[in-house]
Amino acid sequence: MNEEEPANAELAAAQEALVRAMTAGGPLPPGFDEAGVQVAARAILRKRAGEVARAWPALAASYGRDWPETFARWAAERPTNGSIRDAWDFARAHKESLDRNAALELALTETRFHYDGESPPRPRRMAVRRVPGGVAFQLNGRARVIGRR
Amino acid sequence: MSLGVGIGWRPEIAGFVKELPGLRFTEVIAESVHEGHPPADLLALRDRGVQVVPHGVKLSLGGAEPVAAERVAHLAWCAESLNAPLVSEHVAFVRAGGVEAGHLLPVPRTRASLDALTANIRRTQAELPVPLAVEPIAALFDWPDAEYEEGDFLTELVERTGALLLLDIANVYANARNRGEDPAALLDRLPLERVAYCHVAGGDEHGGRYHDTHTAPVPDDVLALVKELCARQRPPGFLLERDGRYPPAAELRAELDAIASAAAMESIT
Repeated sequence: MNEEEPANAELAAAQEALVRAMTAGGPLPPGFDEAGVQVAARAILRKRAGEVARAWPALAASYGRDWPETFARWAAERPTNGSIRDAWDFARAHKESLDRNAALELALTETRFHYDGESPPRPRRMAVRRVPGGVAFQLNGRARVIGRR
Repeated sequence: MSLGVGIGWRPEIAGFVKELPGLRFTEVIAESVHEGHPPADLLALRDRGVQVVPHGVKLSLGGAEPVAAERVAHLAWCAESLNAPLVSEHVAFVRAGGVEAGHLLPVPRTRASLDALTANIRRTQAELPVPLAVEPIAALFDWPDAEYEEGDFLTELVERTGALLLLDIANVYANARNRGEDPAALLDRLPLERVAYCHVAGGDEHGGRYHDTHTAPVPDDVLALVKELCARQRPPGFLLERDGRYPPAAELRAELDAIASAAAMESIT
């Protein structure tokens, strides 16, 4: 099969080295234009920041104009697992400094899905969480906040 | 097959797309369509006879690893349920060794890379009920030690696989501008009779390079290149890609009209 061929194994290793250099802080393989690769890596971070902003608008909004830069700094050596997990991982890492709306967005998501930080999130049947100003309650996919002023 | 001028279907502009009186052709990001609940607006377009092309972005045809069977199956499902005339994907890879790049990355222009692409395109074609068109990407850098010029690499790829080309005019423009080359020169080296349709979009300048972001109006230089292409061989369709910073409807209509005029095709607005 194809995978056994040496040329293909070499290609696989070269592709992985490039992806790690662009997303995980790995060394840049020899021969590439460093400036060009860097510009491309920055463009990917800006794109990821935009996708997170669409998936979790309150999270991005709480950083205002600094959002793309703040996200890019945090994500620079963290390869993506999709925009939902980018958003979720970022929100958990910044839990202490989230504003009220972003904290609520995180808490509501956590009542609806189970996420261990390692594997894809799974829907919860039921959950209760404290949120800013009240309690969020979710049963069979319907979330409600009680006592929020 | 004639497609005419179209626009990429996105949830944010679904209302605008639905109201276009002359629309015969659109495209949807395949990974955004959920098998349980495809968007009703999109199904309505299909039922009205609009040709809907599923456009994949995460298959990684250019990866050294074989394409994932479930991703190919989803493309096939999209083609069946949207009654698509064809499916499109990219000459690119998006992951390697289990690490996601987050975007389309260029492949090396080598024999080994051509072999990997050929194998993956054939695996995909074997499962699809319709033809596959492959799209060369906008690259902000190239791999070292290329064994082929871009035109020769793509020509050999379509000859080997029988795939069609999705030619992105904005990518041709971006690559030529960033490499300091003449964009029309690439048109002369591609098998233009194999172009299924073209993408057109606008971008912006960042860090000294032109980025094909799909968030800006189509530049005049790209429209001029549409004319250049049509003077050589008019493709069946041109599709406007817009992905964010959606302008007011009047501006989008003006862009569609500008593309129709450059391509000497019927206005759809």
